[in-house]
Amino acid sequence: MSTSAPVDVLFVLFAAGAIATAYLVFRTDSMVRAAYWLLASFVGVGAILVLLKAEFVGLVLMLMMAGEMTIMAFVMVMFMMNPAGLNPMLMVHQHKTAIAAGVTSFLVLAGAALLTDFPNAPATQTSRATEELGTELLGESMLVFETAGAALLGTMVGAVAVASRRGRYGDAEEGSIEPPLQPDEEWAQASAHRTEEDEHEPSVHGGHS
Amino acid sequence: MRPYLSPPLAVITMIGVLIAGSYAVAVLEEIAGTLVSRRPLRLTYVFWAPLATAALLLTQGRTSTERPDAQAWALAPALLAGLAAVGLAVIPIDQNTSVADPAAGFVLYSAAISYVMVAVYLHGWSANSTLPLIGAYRFIAQAFAFQIPFLLVLLAPALPAESLAISDIVEAQESLWNVVRQPLGLPIFLVVSAAATFSLPLDFPDAADLAGGTSSEVSASHRLAWRGARAGLLVMVAAMGASAFLGGWQGPWLPGWLWVILKTLLLLVILIASSHTFARLRIERFVVLAWVVLLPLSLVNIFFAGALLL
Amino acid sequence: MNLDSLLIVAAAIFGIGLYGALSQQSFVMLMMGLELMINSAILATVAFWAASTGGSPKGQMLAIVFMTVMAIEMALGFALIVNVYRARKADITEKLKKLKA
Repeated sequence: MSTSAPVDVLFVLFAAGAIATAYLVFRTDSMVRAAYWLLASFVGVGAILVLLKAEFVGLVLMLMMAGEMTIMAFVMVMFMMNPAGLNPMLMVHQHKTAIAAGVTSFLVLAGAALLTDFPNAPATQTSRATEELGTELLGESMLVFETAGAALLGTMVGAVAVASRRGRYGDAEEGSIEPPLQPDEEWAQASAHRTEEDEHEPSVHGGHS
Repeated sequence: MRPYLSPPLAVITMIGVLIAGSYAVAVLEEIAGTLVSRRPLRLTYVFWAPLATAALLLTQGRTSTERPDAQAWALAPALLAGLAAVGLAVIPIDQNTSVADPAAGFVLYSAAISYVMVAVYLHGWSANSTLPLIGAYRFIAQAFAFQIPFLLVLLAPALPAESLAISDIVEAQESLWNVVRQPLGLPIFLVVSAAATFSLPLDFPDAADLAGGTSSEVSASHRLAWRGARAGLLVMVAAMGASAFLGGWQGPWLPGWLWVILKTLLLLVILIASSHTFARLRIERFVVLAWVVLLPLSLVNIFFAGALLL
Repeated sequence: MNLDSLLIVAAAIFGIGLYGALSQQSFVMLMMGLELMINSAILATVAFWAASTGGSPKGQMLAIVFMTVMAIEMALGFALIVNVYRARKADITEKLKKLKA
């Protein structure tokens, strides 16, 4: 596979960017920044895929990741402590083992890549990759494609079932019932119950009326 | 593969299109505002007002909030403007003239639309202030609601063209424009593109009820950049609508590029006029509308587009 | 740009991802590590498609399957995070010493 000089320059830029941003994901305190550094890493890889003439896969990777990473940032802000990273923190365990594992896996994989003789059969530069991929998706590999679709549908159902409000432990919104327009007994009871909780944990609930 | 513009010419074209497009949007906004408020329309004022606003914003001092994510905050308008440029780049200017016309042009355009969410979220989040943050979260809800109808409604014109390249989509409309062939397409597209550009009836992240939402804390050159980028985004969706539904460069008598500009302006006029005539919905109403009405309608649209081909 | 350099880039991203998945306490940061590993797998797959398979569309097909895997991992991961947080108020792995509720 031989490529022209501009493509090589772009490849070096995107590769360095993808690796650097992947590293920054774990070196920033701000959760939103971490999510978007990861997005930047995906964009770098997507751009390399476009350079490899796999336009469709590269662009779809970028397209998918914008939504996924925004959800990731969103979930982190919802659930994690100190999401803005205004105070520095280091939330890691088995740090040295993890570093060793990361470096070892890089060395082993890179060594395998350099030492193995892979067949040299580059894709022809004039090939209409997008069209061929479409024919493949809805032709020979249709079963795989449909299976992926069915798996995604199953995931959607499963994720909604797992995360839905009603679970084994009752309604997730219990304790945060909106006051009705007309005062009624049920709400008064819930409200009284809530005031009791407030007395036990005054720091958790603010001055809601 | 079609001939591209040479790289320097392409860059100059993109910058020119973005600046001229934002100026056109500002002038149209001014005209619409004057007409709606029943003031007399003075043409010199209308054409100078955007420049005066820009000059005023450039000479103001910048304000800041307490500990914002300064880099992300400053770069969010740049990201939005860059996305407008990416989206505009795939749209052919004339039959054999385009800045970039990849085989997967539709996917590139859709990717640009989905990164609008990143730009708006970053813009609201990095200000480290309440109202921008609420605006940012509103836009996440809005973006997930409009994105799937947006993709599906733009995918339908790709069916008769049997290609994801925008120029093929335009060429396939030689006998019949998609606005006639797929009557549901353009109306749905206009609604979702108003949502994608968060312009007035659907301007939830930057709404007046949040004192400007994600842009409530920005001033001076930052505000000018954000407004310019939003205008560029509006041009980007209008140009796409003109190419995907109104036949792009095709038309009698006039040269092709002039037809592209005229059709883009027509869609801009429709979008801006509707932003001054329709009352703003509430965000939850819009989200329900998008998932319950627009998504099934766009599926029906794509079904009929496919059935016509059989 | 040749196959070796592409695979080394993929290996670097994989190494960083593995480090993240092993070291991070926060669930979402851990998932970011997993995502990076799948990212490098996609890169390596398409590199092989472009350099060693003569451009057979099956290679890109595999990359699309990886993307599906990534989407499934994200969706179920987030659902589990939401559920664990509701049941245990846990946001880091240390708070889950046992899986039984």
